[in-house]
Amino acid sequence: MLDVLLGGVTALKDYVATHVLTCLVPAFLLAGGIVSFMNREVILEYLGEQRSKVVSFSLASVASFFVAACSCTVIPVASGLYFGGASVGVAFIVLWVAPATNILALTYTGSLLGVSLAIARVVAALLIAFVVGGVMSFVFRKEQLHPSSEGNRRPKGNILEKKSAFLLLLVLLSLLLPNYLVRSGPYLHKVLLWALLTLGFAVYAKYALPPKARQEWIRETLWFVRLIFPLLLFGVFIVGVVGKLLPETWIRTWLGGNGIRSSFLATLIGAMSYFATLTEAPFVSTLMKLGMGKGPALALLLTGPGLSLPNWLAIARVFGGKKALVYVLTIILLGTLVGWFFGNFVFTP
Amino acid sequence: MKIAILGMGCPKCKMTEQNVREACKALGLDAEITHVADPKEFARIGVRITPAVVVDGTVLFSGRVPDVEELKEALGKFRS
Repeated sequence: MLDVLLGGVTALKDYVATHVLTCLVPAFLLAGGIVSFMNREVILEYLGEQRSKVVSFSLASVASFFVAACSCTVIPVASGLYFGGASVGVAFIVLWVAPATNILALTYTGSLLGVSLAIARVVAALLIAFVVGGVMSFVFRKEQLHPSSEGNRRPKGNILEKKSAFLLLLVLLSLLLPNYLVRSGPYLHKVLLWALLTLGFAVYAKYALPPKARQEWIRETLWFVRLIFPLLLFGVFIVGVVGKLLPETWIRTWLGGNGIRSSFLATLIGAMSYFATLTEAPFVSTLMKLGMGKGPALALLLTGPGLSLPNWLAIARVFGGKKALVYVLTIILLGTLVGWFFGNFVFTP
Repeated sequence: MKIAILGMGCPKCKMTEQNVREACKALGLDAEITHVADPKEFARIGVRITPAVVVDGTVLFSGRVPDVEELKEALGKFRS
């Protein structure tokens, strides 16, 4: 028993020591910046317009990348789009892409699990997004709401000011560079590079932004810290405990390799349990150390934050049980296929 | 006056409600505060990003948690 708890504490200690400064702090600052600087209303206005499927699906996928960094906002955003006149395909693409592969989760995956998994995560999530959009539009083609197209072509504001875009880029670099450039050597080197870059964007923010925008940025950042940080610490602790409890052979048997069964099980675990944004990465990292294959890892990364039991119920309540059922089944099927496909044909074993 | 807080029970929405109540108390407003959790209703009102604060049909804040000072100022204008 003590041994198990100790496993949790050790995992927590390692995590705090090596991730808080160089991964989490910049990630939270980035998320806060996106929420406070980006005009999400404008992005959503673009999505609400009627366009051809290819254009609207692509737009929805790309926009969701930036719309919601927090999974609790994505259901109201997606339903708002749907009831506001966007097609059912677009609404479900947003519902899927925003948690499965937003910019925050993505950079974080990259620094924790390596570039190849991060790239695979985007590509796979976008592929799934298009199929989900297509399936939903096809199955529910008769139910499409036809809103009164008021022809409201009112002028739209800017999505992002140039100065804040540049600032976000600097924050992004402070997240990426220390983790990608300094791959070996003492952790101190990472911290030094990180400190340098952070000083850089702090100085830029001081001169380029009005005080009100800076306050707003810090306030949104603190929100993310308060919401996600406790969940993340708790998640890492649980992962440490689970890692001690589960025998390696068990993980190797059920989640190892790149077979279709491992991929299916990983998808199922991901689709049912709730992962707060970002917690899926350390979880997958632990399981991989214990022998999970890369394909199942990808499946878990995708479905973990994208779906959960509470999330199924919420979707069912908002969009109706039939749509929720089709959506969840499609995702489980696609997650399994993608995990299997990437595991066997993309990641060279 | 009727104040509606729009949100689906996320921590930000709860914080918003708390701030609204505090602002009302500070201003001595006797407002009817409701919590709207139905996304169909969001769309009808025209709110895309929650949390939002709607006073007598007018959207005052949307997409972020307004602090007590901001709320006092905005609600104070509505009192008359």
